[in-house]
Amino acid sequence: MRNYLTLVILLILCLPSFGIINEKSDDHSTYVQHVEQAFILMFQGDNLGAISAFEAALAIEPDHHEILHYLGMAHAQEEFWNKATESYQRSLALMPDNIEALYSLGVAYFRLDRWTDAVPSLQRVIELSPQHARGHEMLGKSLVKRRRYAEAIPILTKALSLTPHAAGLYYELGTAHLNLKAYPEAIENFKLAIAYGPTGYAEPHHGLGTAYFRSGDREKSRVEMQIYQRLQKEFAEYERLTRLTRAEPNNLEAWTELATLLMNQKNFAKAVSVFQKCIELAPNNAHFYHGLSRAFMSLNYPKHAAEAARKAVQLMPNQAILYNTLGSTYAMQGESQKALSAFRKAVELDSDEPYYHLNLSRLYQGMGNQKLAQEHHRIYEHLLSKQK
Amino acid sequence: MNIFYPSRNSHFRSVACGLFLLLFSIGMRFGVSAQDTEHLILISAGTFTMGSDTRAADEKPMHKVYLNAYYISKYEVTNAEYYEFWKQQLEMTSPEQTPQHTPENFTHLPQIGDWPARAEQFPNHPVVGVSWHDANAYAAWKGMRLPTEAEWEKAARGYTNRTWPWGNALESYANTAANEDGYENCLAPVGSFPKGKSYYGVMDMAGNVWEWTADWYSDVYYWHTSQAAMKRPKQNPTGPAVGSWRVIRGGSWIDPIARCSTTFRFYLYPNLKTSFVGFRLAKSTF
Repeated sequence: MRNYLTLVILLILCLPSFGIINEKSDDHSTYVQHVEQAFILMFQGDNLGAISAFEAALAIEPDHHEILHYLGMAHAQEEFWNKATESYQRSLALMPDNIEALYSLGVAYFRLDRWTDAVPSLQRVIELSPQHARGHEMLGKSLVKRRRYAEAIPILTKALSLTPHAAGLYYELGTAHLNLKAYPEAIENFKLAIAYGPTGYAEPHHGLGTAYFRSGDREKSRVEMQIYQRLQKEFAEYERLTRLTRAEPNNLEAWTELATLLMNQKNFAKAVSVFQKCIELAPNNAHFYHGLSRAFMSLNYPKHAAEAARKAVQLMPNQAILYNTLGSTYAMQGESQKALSAFRKAVELDSDEPYYHLNLSRLYQGMGNQKLAQEHHRIYEHLLSKQK
Repeated sequence: MNIFYPSRNSHFRSVACGLFLLLFSIGMRFGVSAQDTEHLILISAGTFTMGSDTRAADEKPMHKVYLNAYYISKYEVTNAEYYEFWKQQLEMTSPEQTPQHTPENFTHLPQIGDWPARAEQFPNHPVVGVSWHDANAYAAWKGMRLPTEAEWEKAARGYTNRTWPWGNALESYANTAANEDGYENCLAPVGSFPKGKSYYGVMDMAGNVWEWTADWYSDVYYWHTSQAAMKRPKQNPTGPAVGSWRVIRGGSWIDPIARCSTTFRFYLYPNLKTSFVGFRLAKSTF
């Protein structure tokens, strides 16, 4: 009975304030709803949706440094660097020593070419977190941009100790040494950038060429500059085709050129998706399936490669090269009998192609049939000499 | 600062909580069936492979880690279990104050709902809307702790490098954003996917809710670990010394299965309280 009485008293006491409080509680619920929605959208890659949801949340409860940081990150994903900077600054005003927000601000300034502004934030990052690899990297890059090469070198060296084999860091180190006229160090770092960098990484070749030139080795410099120019051209072509396919998504010719370029650049992962797009536009074209199969083979996905090659053979059953590719995919999977049948078919359709005989020879050798292996190897050599 | 629980709402919430406790004390049957709290699984000492060379950049490089033996809870902490902790907080709190470590309300998600009503409605659902600090406080109250990131990964992955706790095949053995798992846009009670258990028998390590771990997040921490491992496997790593974000693991009901792999790393500010992050407990053997 006493408890019931307490309950009634509590209810009476609370009644006058329920209206206002409920309203605030509703506001907070709406805030929670916006934040949850923003996270879901951000995880799904819908950054514009996430920006709207974060902004809606912050309109209700503006003083959440984390949400301001996430808002900045969503802006950064969309390359809205000025807006990202503004959000990070608001976040840092609420929590000044937040390592990741300081780092984000440094990156945003860097992207805006405001390297002088980037330096203090990034210096604070590495003060607060001496093992912060990205902080060291961005600070080193900003210092190089500011031509503070001597200061950049220890920072970039530390970054490399935290993330070994980072090609971009070797490139920046090479640049710093080059500008300090330390050519042997520059050459060494540019070479490492090329060794660890992705296919088609042009800039280190230019740096290497310059370092060779300045150290008096003109021949090596010429070679590197030629590579640089070729890679630059390829990159420009890649950019052109990427823009074209974006503007005209049904332009099969552009997609085909892009696929060819990517295969030449050995960028097989991207080539796969481009060939898939080609197939989407021209589902009965055997050549696209063939290209897809070769890309998968290069990525060491023999099952996917075999599937694509089978489809190509189905569409063009009289093309020797398609059987040769199909045979190779089977051989990669250790399915010797299927490979043998496919290679034989290739030779049957085109007995003048030396490499079909070479593949057959290697397969026979693997299967222990030395006689046939030698026979096809002889044919291969004979055809090759004729071609020469 | 508790971002989802501002002080301006505290009056209403404390009154509501007071009423709730009052009703409870005057004899309303509160149907929380407490999950067995003694579900601990012993993970034996030894070396395992952590990280992946073929997935996200922050999972690289794959490296060896040695861990002492430890216990990890078979299930994530449930609403019913957390309620016991919260109730004690409530008893120690004056009526005008909000109890510390109160989970966030998700009024807009009726399938999760408001606290503490959801502890009664969904006693065996994993507790969500708890910050890293709440999770840590609960663990301390239980005389336990949060698992380190390495402990979490070993318990999920076993010693056979499984992509998902159950193996490498893509199966619907977890509550993810996909709709064929039987739980469309909602949480599942803990232990709903027995086929999804890990090599060690730990449940729900993929999907349902992300799980707080003890470690700060660093995208290059594995490089430090593996550099040390060139001489010998890293021993009982506990993550970077400082950071902004805490590591969360396992993916959740809002994520595609790819984010629910045993190696996928993600991070969140430690004071955020969301509907997709919960936790489980760990304990050293000595």
